[in-house]
Amino acid sequence: MIPSDHFTRFYNEVFKFLESQGEEQLQAYFLAISKNQEKHILELIQTKGLEGMEEYWTHIKIEENCDMDIDRNEDRLELRMNVCPSLSKVMDNDAEPMGRYCDHCAGWIGPIFDKTGYHLVYDVIDRKKPQCVMRVFKDAAKAKEAERDVKLLMGWPGHKIG
Amino acid sequence: MSEHLRYAEGGEVHLDFHGATNTTIDFIISRYGVEAMDAIFKKVGKDVYRSIHDDLVAGDTGQLVRHWRHFFSRENCDYDIAVGDDEIVLTVRHCTAWHHVAKLVGTPSAHFCDQTSRTNEGMAEGSPFAIDTEITGPGSCRQVIRRRA
Repeated sequence: MIPSDHFTRFYNEVFKFLESQGEEQLQAYFLAISKNQEKHILELIQTKGLEGMEEYWTHIKIEENCDMDIDRNEDRLELRMNVCPSLSKVMDNDAEPMGRYCDHCAGWIGPIFDKTGYHLVYDVIDRKKPQCVMRVFKDAAKAKEAERDVKLLMGWPGHKIG
Repeated sequence: MSEHLRYAEGGEVHLDFHGATNTTIDFIISRYGVEAMDAIFKKVGKDVYRSIHDDLVAGDTGQLVRHWRHFFSRENCDYDIAVGDDEIVLTVRHCTAWHHVAKLVGTPSAHFCDQTSRTNEGMAEGSPFAIDTEITGPGSCRQVIRRRA
């Protein structure tokens, strides 16, 4: 058994292998993981919207030992990851971190927001620092406006940046 | 024998990661074959668990046994470890990972337990030990460390 605690380091090895096979392979994997994650979050978003997202990430914050602030208002949900346990473990690793490790996060959640009609603005800030800000908007124009303040904007399958 | 435990963890556990591992195994095998998946697991054993690998190469099984105790306890598995003169046997009667995935998806990948077998092989590669993994039933196994003949 690879302990659940060490899934992220296994994930990192999978990313390195897929990156060597080509960008489209990595994108296909993000979509497979996204499909897997639907069983945990899709219904919550479809039935409770932003409140359902808050419920999901409150659970994740506890189970994944995240140092994260969650803020929700009528228009949007904001997750401010102060110390990301996932990238932290990948950096504190005896194997080499994959340079674009952070890309997986928008890679799996972006397609789910696309399916549910929400608009994601994912600021990774710096791929070498375990912190990021994710904002999810009901309104597309507000999401577009929020993109102006972003340091490193992430895309996802079906939503290429630049 | 060292008392080192490089990969210890604290806090909560997120068992749903085992579901993502199961999805990953099916994805890699369907596109690249079992050999590619095996190679990734062996790299996990040798590179990600380099400290355990290096100890085994140096003839020291202590960290691996402590690693097993730490994580099989953290995940609330039903297991025991018997340390004998000629072999060390980890008997897993209820693997939390396998049963959690079964709860999530019904039937785990036929290759789900390869993560154990191949990662063990990667850790033991180039060492005086072999680690043999025998799947004894759904969500149960026996892992044996022996000196190579």
